[in-house]
Amino acid sequence: MDQIDHAAAPPIIELRNFRYTYLEGTPRASEAIRDVSFSIRRGERVGIVGPTQSGKSTVVDSFAHLLRLKAGQVFHDGEDVATPGYDRGALRRRVGIVFQQPDSQLVEDVVGADVAFGPTAAGLSAEETRRRVEESLDALGLPYPEYRLRYIHALSGGQRRRVAIAGVLAMHTPVLVLDEPMAGLDPRGRRELMELLIRLQKDRDLTLIVCSASLSDASLLCDRFIVLDAGRVVVDGPVREVLREPGRLAELDITLPEPVLCARELGKLFSDLPTAVLTEDELEAEVLKRLGLV
Amino acid sequence: MLELQRNVIFGQFIDTGSWIHRMDARIKLTITFVLTVASFLIDSFVGFALIFPLLVLIHLIARVPLSYVLRGSRLFLGFLAFILFFQVLFYPGEAPESSYLWRWGFLSVSTVGLYTAGILGLRVIFLYYVTTMLMLTTSLVDLTNGLELIFRPLQKLRVPVNELVLVFVIAIKFVPIFVGEVERLARAQTARGVPFDEGGALTRARRIGRLLVPIFISGFTRADLLTTAMNTRSYRGGRRRTKFRRLHATISDWLILLLVIAWVLLAWQLPDRLGA
Repeated sequence: MDQIDHAAAPPIIELRNFRYTYLEGTPRASEAIRDVSFSIRRGERVGIVGPTQSGKSTVVDSFAHLLRLKAGQVFHDGEDVATPGYDRGALRRRVGIVFQQPDSQLVEDVVGADVAFGPTAAGLSAEETRRRVEESLDALGLPYPEYRLRYIHALSGGQRRRVAIAGVLAMHTPVLVLDEPMAGLDPRGRRELMELLIRLQKDRDLTLIVCSASLSDASLLCDRFIVLDAGRVVVDGPVREVLREPGRLAELDITLPEPVLCARELGKLFSDLPTAVLTEDELEAEVLKRLGLV
Repeated sequence: MLELQRNVIFGQFIDTGSWIHRMDARIKLTITFVLTVASFLIDSFVGFALIFPLLVLIHLIARVPLSYVLRGSRLFLGFLAFILFFQVLFYPGEAPESSYLWRWGFLSVSTVGLYTAGILGLRVIFLYYVTTMLMLTTSLVDLTNGLELIFRPLQKLRVPVNELVLVFVIAIKFVPIFVGEVERLARAQTARGVPFDEGGALTRARRIGRLLVPIFISGFTRADLLTTAMNTRSYRGGRRRTKFRRLHATISDWLILLLVIAWVLLAWQLPDRLGA
């Protein structure tokens, strides 16, 4: 299946006119998603960006059927996940989600046991589980022998976040969704996590989905942005195309990447300077070109 | 999915801006007290039938959707039905021989037992409804102020009224927070492979058990945070604390209280008079 031309296969995740209201039918109902449609193909790296309250987390929850869904709105591999009898357990073994607050998804007291939770629930052998726990913890810079028996509640916020990510990685899901993964990490931790995600995405042919209110990290991780605002898709396209309109993104209170911000300012000097620059190096090259130094 | 917030209404406040919502909290608390006493005084079906229109009236004025209240009471009503079932079966009192409908060993169904269980059930539902409506129509700030003012005389006897009321109100406020927390944890665990939305009742109950430890931990964390928040905002409680919103009872508030008292007296006394 993985070797088949990806473009021909049905999208791995598809939302069709997805709507969602929390506590529907009660006086406390609140409409989170008004109308969202998009499809994500296998192996894509997608950033779902938007300000707070734009509906990012609700969209993420819908991917693994963690909400009361109506039929005909959310599809996985072409199948409607809300059909009665649909194997939700299997869906959740294919879509791994790292939530915004790591604490909400840590279920055991000890690091090793928590990372082993997913593989064990999936019915893997003890040996295979151990191997995956070791591999995942090592990948996140938490050496297995040292951290295996540490108490989660005694770890720092950043370390807990890494344990939460390791717990999802250990499940080897083909789709990996991260909700604000960089929050609470120091610059070094961010860089390491970013490198790890890029490497994993290539090695395992992952479908990577990153949610964020900031484009800084997401622009280096993703090829495509879906911009949400007030429960609707406002922009959907390749990263560079989306970054060409920085004014519109800034209006939505989305944090732009540093190079884009610089390019916007420098645009006052060089009217033809493109804003769709992803790194400082790219920006430097563009400026040097205009100064006639290259 | 586990959707507790849809099904638990205890401690919620639904602001429909109705006339009952705007009533003085002290009067509302007094009315609740009067109706609580009434639930013990009234001991006949006729009496409850007489008080029923009052509840309908309260409900119509408050404009809280009935479906919401009923949905939120399902768990409670189920539990009550369970208890009443055994109450009838194990009715311990003396019953005249003619009243037995069925008997097997120490288990029995008698008309006297059914009558007692019926009255008991009505009492509990009545109490539950009255307190639920108080919560649904009174914001926590009003509730706190009202309770503090009512119990203020006790301060002269060195009873720490403010602190007691605060603890009481925080306890109520924590219920919806805990419900949200349980839901959040259940969702996160579902994402990691523990399906809360599949399996029989027993399996589901056992899975809920897994949430207890994280819930306790988060409860303590929240209590800790709340303390810090109150300290940083210089909360000291006590008598010298001023109020931003002052309660004031109007003539109509008092008239309503009198009406309720009259209604209760009627429902309490009339059935006896009619019987005699």
